[in-house]
Amino acid sequence: MPRPGIVRSTPRPLTLALAAGVTALGLALTGCTTASPDAGDDTPKSGGTLTYASGDAEPTCLDPHVGGNFPQALVSSQYLESLVSLDDEGTVIPWLADSWTVSDDGLAWEFTLRDGVTFTDGTPLDAAAVQANVAHLQDPETGSSTGYLALAKVAGTEAVSDSVVRFTLSEPDSALLESLSQPWLAIQSATALERTQDENCAAPVGTGPFKVDSWVKQNAITMVRNDDYTSPPGDAGHAGPAYLDEIVWRFIPDSASRYAALQAGEVDMIDNVQPDTIAQAESSDTIVHLDAPRPGASNRIELNSGKAPFDDIAVREAFIRSANIVDGVESLFQGTADRSTSALSSVEPLGVSEPDLFDYDPDAADALLDGAGWTQRDSDGYRVKDGVRLSVVFPVSTNQSIPAEQSLYEQIQATAKETGFEVKLAKLDLSSWYAELGANAYDAVSAPYTKVGPDVLRILFHSDGITPAPSGYFANHAQVNDPEIDALLTEAGQISDPERRAALYADAQERVLDGFYILPLMDQQNHFLYATSLEGARVLPAVSTPTFYDAWLNR
Amino acid sequence: MAEPLTQRPTPIRPRARTRDRLGAVLRRLAGAVFVLWAVATLTFFAVRLIPGDPAQAILGGPGSQTSPEALAAVRAEYGLDQPIWVQYLQQLGRLATGDLGRSYGLNQDVGPLVLAQLGGTLVLAVTSLAVAWVLALTLATWSTGRGRLARRIGSGLEIVAAALPHFWLATVLIVLFSVWLGVLPPISTSDARGLVLPVLTLAVPLAGFLGQVMRESLLTALESPFVLSARARGESERGVFWRHALRHAALPAISLSGWAFGSLISGAVVVETIFARPGLGRTLLTAVTVRDVPVVVGVVMVVAVAYILMTIATDVASRIADPRPRTEAGR
Repeated sequence: MPRPGIVRSTPRPLTLALAAGVTALGLALTGCTTASPDAGDDTPKSGGTLTYASGDAEPTCLDPHVGGNFPQALVSSQYLESLVSLDDEGTVIPWLADSWTVSDDGLAWEFTLRDGVTFTDGTPLDAAAVQANVAHLQDPETGSSTGYLALAKVAGTEAVSDSVVRFTLSEPDSALLESLSQPWLAIQSATALERTQDENCAAPVGTGPFKVDSWVKQNAITMVRNDDYTSPPGDAGHAGPAYLDEIVWRFIPDSASRYAALQAGEVDMIDNVQPDTIAQAESSDTIVHLDAPRPGASNRIELNSGKAPFDDIAVREAFIRSANIVDGVESLFQGTADRSTSALSSVEPLGVSEPDLFDYDPDAADALLDGAGWTQRDSDGYRVKDGVRLSVVFPVSTNQSIPAEQSLYEQIQATAKETGFEVKLAKLDLSSWYAELGANAYDAVSAPYTKVGPDVLRILFHSDGITPAPSGYFANHAQVNDPEIDALLTEAGQISDPERRAALYADAQERVLDGFYILPLMDQQNHFLYATSLEGARVLPAVSTPTFYDAWLNR
Repeated sequence: MAEPLTQRPTPIRPRARTRDRLGAVLRRLAGAVFVLWAVATLTFFAVRLIPGDPAQAILGGPGSQTSPEALAAVRAEYGLDQPIWVQYLQQLGRLATGDLGRSYGLNQDVGPLVLAQLGGTLVLAVTSLAVAWVLALTLATWSTGRGRLARRIGSGLEIVAAALPHFWLATVLIVLFSVWLGVLPPISTSDARGLVLPVLTLAVPLAGFLGQVMRESLLTALESPFVLSARARGESERGVFWRHALRHAALPAISLSGWAFGSLISGAVVVETIFARPGLGRTLLTAVTVRDVPVVVGVVMVVAVAYILMTIATDVASRIADPRPRTEAGR
């Protein structure tokens, strides 16, 4: 395989930088590189290889139906497409489905598929193919988690004609279109899905602008252009095949190496960029920063209201008032993230913010704890009631929380201590962390939840989400058990009138925020850096995964 | 008789020696099997005794949402619903037949998976070992016989080199050669250029260790009676140095190379991660994170086998290099 990276890594004009002084042994030196002479040329050029470096774990299966996590969504967005997409405003727009209708009772959806679309194995996109995908996602053998949950209300499918497929629901689902826009529910060739799971995991077959060519584990996934591509989403920049010849998708787990590889020109785009790296890159003329928060829930700390001490709303509020979030976010995220006061991501149109509820106010926190009976302090300065110390067990997943987040928790620990909370941070690997949650051995926790649309509220705050399944899995970590919230979320999940839906979700969010069940921190961070020579790269608004359909290399 | 001390004694009882040799080989094999069993057992329990549910780890990458049905299916598929000692015995039984099992997370059999990654790590480790030897020899030979100052500089450099942590050295090398000078890639490439920085990262600290040992024995050797007698025979200084003293000095470094190989493999975990190189170290790190017991055991077993082979090789090498007469006693 020819590696254009070799050609690209000729020494950049760094002489100036070196002359400027050896004292500045910082990484920020590449700011001195000059823009390429043809930077003014805006006509897309075909050809070339884009090298992308991901900091995420390498997926174990390239088919996002299997399991269904963010690393899979990132890469599969290049070769798989969904029935619908979202535009920048969060409005659902056509993709593989041209149009759709819903029956009055909300129980039957009919999708008319786009004409003349074929999968890269030559089979046509038809109603039967969509049916096969739903069946694949709902088959326990597939081991789908994300897609499986998203289709929970779909009772069956039926081919009305070759190009029209009907979904029959067990109850109305106002989130169906948002669910279908997610990469985890992308449509694959029915013929390809019939292969063994190992084969399908190695090279899923979709309708996307690129197709999987090879996958050398721990090294790279190579995707080549689909020359017969006809199905860009409604908001794409051009028609016809993509400009790039191929995409080499690499995995560079170390954050500093990833950025060094971008600076050295070995790669064109990197993800999982940490705040300190973004701050360095801001001074560079050759690197562009792309901030694309993930949809769904905000990044928040959930307070376990199911047991002491957070079963008392006054203690929850006191904890929230005692935590200095704004200063922490500012210093640790170096201006790359804004403090959130919402349960939902800022990209969710239906999100409600309550800035006044989450102010840092240690005096109010003290008064609340005094009123709640936590009046005494022990020799370490922690509050005590009936001989029990005011302790907050806070398991932290080192796989899911980046270093800056972990430092933020430590700052929260420090400011909450002044009010008398003993925050016990425990850094755990993923499965130990799951185990702590399953055993209800936590008082506070921060868990990401990415899902398109406000229906994520039902998953996080409906009391159905408290009862651990036999596996011990549950998503309502705050253990919110409020019949009124349940009723609001259930109704919102079924209603078809958009205004009424928005009002119901707003009510539900207000009740959650007013109940001090969560301490919102910021959006789920999702930062990319790319070389200025890469033009036309953007993220798909659904779950903020990059797409390179319109991308081309200006060099 | 130019080199009387290196001449082998004439074997007196060939048959007895053959028997002794066979016994030695058998003992060595039994030892190797015991080591492999112990390694497999310790690794299995070390990974499994951490609290947590491997089924959740199999399905739950960051941000994923797991359904109970999927968890149940996974438990049944991998036999995780069995008692742990049953799982242990099953694992041992599979290992005895050379089957490393199937990865929890990678949708692959462990044997081919580990073999596919073995090459990258071996190339890295062997090249690093070779480069470390060259660096150590160069420094040791340059600094001995050149006065006290040179010796001090040499040993100072070695102490500093030996103390360098891999992750720090790797970062400095990347900043220097990739970001500043732009001459070497910070990540693996399909050609040899991508090998330079990782190899230096592993070789420099190791060269520090090897160099310290070499210089010491070199100095001892240069003051030994056999060197005196070689000089008395009229050997040139160069001949004395290369043919006698260096050979003597190489011995402890050769024995150390067995250990060094092990440390290189563990260093590969850091280096392969930083430089995004495919290999066993990175496989191991990922597998530990997601609690992929078969892969962890598989990697550790393969490393153990490689380590045993390497120890045998260093044994043979020191026999060849050792100028002293051999006896079978103690074998």
